[in-house]
Amino acid sequence: MRAFVEGLGHGLIDAVAKLGYATRLFLLLLRHSGTAFARLRLTIAQIHFIGNYSLVIIVVSGLFVGFVLGLQGYNTLQRYGSEQALGLLVALSLVRELGPVVTALLFAGRAGTSITAEIGLMKAGEQLSAMEMMAVSPIGRVLAPRFWAGAISMPLLAAMFSAVGVFGGYVVGVVMIGVDDGAFWSQMQNGVDWLEDVGNGVIKSVVFGLAVTFIAVFEGYDSQPTPEGVSRATTRTVVSSSLAVLALDFILTALMFSKG
Amino acid sequence: MEGVSFAYPTLTGAPGRKILTGVDMQVKRGQLVALMGGSGSGKTTILRLLGGQVAPQAGSVSVDGHNVHQLKHDDLFALRRRMGMLFQFGALFTDMSVFENVAFPLREHTDLPEEAIRDLVLMKLNAVGLRGAQGLMPSQISGGMSRRVALARAIALDPQLIMYDEPFAGLDPISLGITANLIRSLGEALGAASIIVTHDVEESLQIVDYVYFLAEGKIVAQGTPDEIRASEMPYVKQFVSGAPDGPVRFHYPAPDYAADLGLVK
Repeated sequence: MRAFVEGLGHGLIDAVAKLGYATRLFLLLLRHSGTAFARLRLTIAQIHFIGNYSLVIIVVSGLFVGFVLGLQGYNTLQRYGSEQALGLLVALSLVRELGPVVTALLFAGRAGTSITAEIGLMKAGEQLSAMEMMAVSPIGRVLAPRFWAGAISMPLLAAMFSAVGVFGGYVVGVVMIGVDDGAFWSQMQNGVDWLEDVGNGVIKSVVFGLAVTFIAVFEGYDSQPTPEGVSRATTRTVVSSSLAVLALDFILTALMFSKG
Repeated sequence: MEGVSFAYPTLTGAPGRKILTGVDMQVKRGQLVALMGGSGSGKTTILRLLGGQVAPQAGSVSVDGHNVHQLKHDDLFALRRRMGMLFQFGALFTDMSVFENVAFPLREHTDLPEEAIRDLVLMKLNAVGLRGAQGLMPSQISGGMSRRVALARAIALDPQLIMYDEPFAGLDPISLGITANLIRSLGEALGAASIIVTHDVEESLQIVDYVYFLAEGKIVAQGTPDEIRASEMPYVKQFVSGAPDGPVRFHYPAPDYAADLGLVK
């Protein structure tokens, strides 16, 4: 019994200490972010690496999610004879929810893991220590460019996901099933509010991008410098950032779309 | 460094296992000093203290008249620019070529034009005999070579203090001899103070000026190589001759062997 209580206390203290450590790292990251922007080439190289290489998985997933939305949406809407609203349904689902959320989950798996593993392995190979000893801050030189590259890439990827998804919905709904072309687009145009829907979706994707990339960067920097430690850190990145995205999504949705 | 004591703290701030207790050491400019001792005796920690990567609980560490742990962040970084450190396995940046690795400190700390950087890098690479390998990636070169590249990187800014963490570990006899001579000649050419952390007794006794012996976080012996060779201290004798028995035991404390195997009841 006593061991249980002690274990609980230890777990709690460690969790609080880790949270404090993460907060400190976040502040340091912001302080050292000057490097990421003063030497834009470092960040652009990371945007290329993190963003560009995630494109294929994002675009293909977006297309399939769009296909499924078109199919399921049509099946449900035609029961009420309102299959013309298919375009609106596809667009709203994507822009408000699926675009930011699914992109963030895929982004955590594709880019978050590679950021964590890279930083963790750099730590294990004493590369970060070596950098420190050369009077170069690894937080400014390694962490900050990756953090901002991820934060910049994520909204762009989410936008592409939504755009491709709408196209997927169009292919299934209009081209294959035969929903009226004009109704599909005009309902979408009338029903989707630029600020309320698209704007809030963009805010979501920015928040998710910051959260996922920070978790990835933190887990890599905090990892035990051993093969097992890096593999655990990579797993933690996926688990924590997926949970963070879903929890943040609920909070943001409640703040943005609750009427009254 | 004077009276330095150190223990790695844990995440929650409680002090952990003691690594160093009351260590006094001095290294002069132009001198090559070896720091010897068994694994886990705190040798690498001393280098980390000198570089200001960890702070002592007691005592002070001074480099070139500056107390390392009272410096502000920027001043510490300025001091580190005048230090070079060779890590145990080189710690080359694996995403950059050999050339870019050596150019890294120059690009970070100077505004030299590209041509000057190129000349400097080629000079440093030539000093370690790897000018021809400039275009290779760290994964394409051997362990001994990457250590030499790391050495070129460590001396890129002409440091006044060079620290070597186990520069001889895992090298073949030829690379070992070359590396030892390089360390000696680089220190002399730069007029720098050099510290080698090693347990390669024979090789280092040939090149160093002074030796500190470290055991369980304390300095147990010191002297010139000749004094060390002639030393009658059991610990030093065991280390120099490499005998398995003596004050340092090969076996980790364990119950009786025969009893452990169940041969005696």
